[in-house]
Amino acid sequence: MYISIEKKIFIETVYKVARFAERKNTSLPALSSILIIAGDESIKMRATNLETGIDLKLEGECKSKGVVAIPATVLQQIAGSLTPEGRITLEHTGDIVSLTSGTGKSSIKTVPHDDFPSIPFPENQKNKIILPGTLLRTLLTSIASCASNSTIRPELSSISLSLEGGVLTIVATDSFRLAEKKTALSNKGIQGKLLIPAKNAIEIAQALPDGDITLTFDEHQCAFSSATGVMVSRLTNANYPDYRQIIPKESIVEAIVLRKDFETALKRTAIFSDSFQKIRINFDPKKNHFSFFAHNIDIGESIETLSAQITGSALDLSFNHRYLSAVLALTNTESLSLTAAGIGRPIIIKGVGDPSLLYLISPMNQ
Amino acid sequence: MDKGNPRELWEYVLTQVELSISPANFNTWFRNSFIVKIGEDGVVYIGVPSQFFKDWYLKKFHTLLLKILRDVSYEFRNIEYLIVKDERRKLPPKEVKNVRGALELPLDEFYINKSDNLNPRYTFDTFVIGSFNNLAYAAAQATLQRPGISYNPLFIYGDTGRGKTHLIQAIGNHFKKQYPGRKVFYLTSEKFAVDYTDSVQAGTANRFKDKYRQYDLLIMDDVQFLSKKDRTQEELFHLFNALHDTNKQIIFSSDRAPAAIPDVAERLKGRLASGMAIDIGEPDPESRMAIVRKKAASHGVMLSDEVVEYVATSMSGSIRELEGMVNSIICHAQVKGFAPDIAEVRQSLRSFTRPQKNISVKNVVDKVAEFYGIDEESIYEKTRRREVVRPRQVIMYILREDFSISYPTIGVKLGGRDHTTVIHSCEKIKREVVVDSELAKEIQNIRTLLV
Repeated sequence: MYISIEKKIFIETVYKVARFAERKNTSLPALSSILIIAGDESIKMRATNLETGIDLKLEGECKSKGVVAIPATVLQQIAGSLTPEGRITLEHTGDIVSLTSGTGKSSIKTVPHDDFPSIPFPENQKNKIILPGTLLRTLLTSIASCASNSTIRPELSSISLSLEGGVLTIVATDSFRLAEKKTALSNKGIQGKLLIPAKNAIEIAQALPDGDITLTFDEHQCAFSSATGVMVSRLTNANYPDYRQIIPKESIVEAIVLRKDFETALKRTAIFSDSFQKIRINFDPKKNHFSFFAHNIDIGESIETLSAQITGSALDLSFNHRYLSAVLALTNTESLSLTAAGIGRPIIIKGVGDPSLLYLISPMNQ
Repeated sequence: MDKGNPRELWEYVLTQVELSISPANFNTWFRNSFIVKIGEDGVVYIGVPSQFFKDWYLKKFHTLLLKILRDVSYEFRNIEYLIVKDERRKLPPKEVKNVRGALELPLDEFYINKSDNLNPRYTFDTFVIGSFNNLAYAAAQATLQRPGISYNPLFIYGDTGRGKTHLIQAIGNHFKKQYPGRKVFYLTSEKFAVDYTDSVQAGTANRFKDKYRQYDLLIMDDVQFLSKKDRTQEELFHLFNALHDTNKQIIFSSDRAPAAIPDVAERLKGRLASGMAIDIGEPDPESRMAIVRKKAASHGVMLSDEVVEYVATSMSGSIRELEGMVNSIICHAQVKGFAPDIAEVRQSLRSFTRPQKNISVKNVVDKVAEFYGIDEESIYEKTRRREVVRPRQVIMYILREDFSISYPTIGVKLGGRDHTTVIHSCEKIKREVVVDSELAKEIQNIRTLLV
């Protein structure tokens, strides 16, 4: 194999692909390697950790064909040290890859590439939706952070994507709070449900290019393909809980606050939250006040009152402040609406004028 | 291997696969897989975690796996790969069936309290009181009433398997309950001797002394094993004095009376006998029946009177052996689910009953004469030489005790002696055996020759 690539492209691609290699010290060296395939049409880089996989095309000149697997960490470190001008050449002889860039030349030991697994694509190509990469990226990253970190319930550490009537609904919950976002789709005919492990979704989102992305899926696998390459993830094989049951239908009080006020007041009150990160919120319809209160035995206590538009009856509820602040990443509207259904019932936060988002938090015991 | 059992089959497949691929590959690809089911049409379904695995199995391992399965049986036609649900992968299949729970010995039978060495199984509740141990029980109760004062030391002796250990441990357990603040310690004399030698070796003899002096009730089992261990005896002597002077209760058990324990310093013998020395005799048939009943009832098995009587009388000997027989019956009952009848009991206890010894008088005379190195003829003669008289008496004793031959018959067989002579001889040896350990040992040796 003998290839020559522009350094800029090389650096970018290695960064993207290396994320998908197995970072744990696994026993199979091929899994923590990047596979470089130089073929007739293109040069490709591949990596997989058996959860997710990536296959990216990159522009370059292929002087002779070949396949080689190189430890991902080595390539990543080299890419990090390169300046983005000029070209880099890779030459494969025996079990050594010679990497020449400008004045320097490094020889890297390769890994047997026979062990490198094939990256499976969904069998059914009919289940297909097209979304802009930028949108998909923000959707996935913001929602995936609301999924559970624990692996005990695989469905809760996944994000749920359901396609119905031309709307894509993405949901994640860790059983304390829930985030749901809806997006209209261009093609309306597709129906389906898939659970992507949240960890994998974040990995993929960060490598997504800006252009149009085609998402295909079947029962066990999904793929995000673009002009430059494909990323795949296994799907969680479990039933997602019927979260609609826990969303309160009725409400007793609603507050509309400015996002800016909400953010600063919450940040300041959070300093005084206790070891359970508890913050109490209060709806006061008489004075049209919405307030945060936190008390910590060691530090002290703090109260922040915001003017708000409140309709309904007075109510006190306590929440984990991290769950409250998480909503700020999910919407960028100027105002937020908080709807409560009573003591011990969850609260719903929405962006005013943003019907796509629904964010729900379960209260803590008073 | 049961080829119909998916788990066993997969275990076998794994051992074979492990031989043919590299450890790295094996760990990566096979750790999370298993056989989901074996179809009736000979298709084996292998569950894998994701599409990655499925593809790779099809590509790399399919022929290998199929070959291994075909080697097991030609019934296996093909392999299908399934991507299993995440929940199922997380929970390894558990098959904990405890249908035989009732049959397992409860753990507390083996449980021994570390701080006092007492086995909580031995209590007065499970102790059967009969005429044979009545006195010992009364003494134990009196000791518990006023520990350190009524009978100090309390010395319980009797043959093996008469319930000595049960009684003294029950005293310990009861004492613990009755006086919660006070310290009890149970040990065997053997443990005491080992502990002592260890402490001497480690140079911590003083700590050893202190350790034993702190107890309010010291129970020492089987003190007869102290014979010939002079230093340990001396240590016990001092310990005894220390405890006795401070009115701490001491309880001993032994298989013979204090005076009959050989090779024990006189001053210690005297002290052992200075309190109350009580003999636990052989249990009478009624007591034995009561023991059988109680033991069976404690395991929830009701035995018919017939069976109880059979078990209690079919063999003489220690209560321990009796318990062994009862355990065997209980085990049978639990396996079958009902209490066995007399015929079954007879059948199952055959192994416990000793074979009936059928042996001729001449044979016994032969063996004994040989043992003592005298001429066999002289036994039958009317000589009263000392070296002949003793063996002759021993022969009479053995014939009477072990083979239950009538006194007159013995007399006739041994040269036409009067039955009163025989009675006198037997009684004499019987008396002497208790105090003369040499003679007891001789007789024991002769008995082994006769088996």
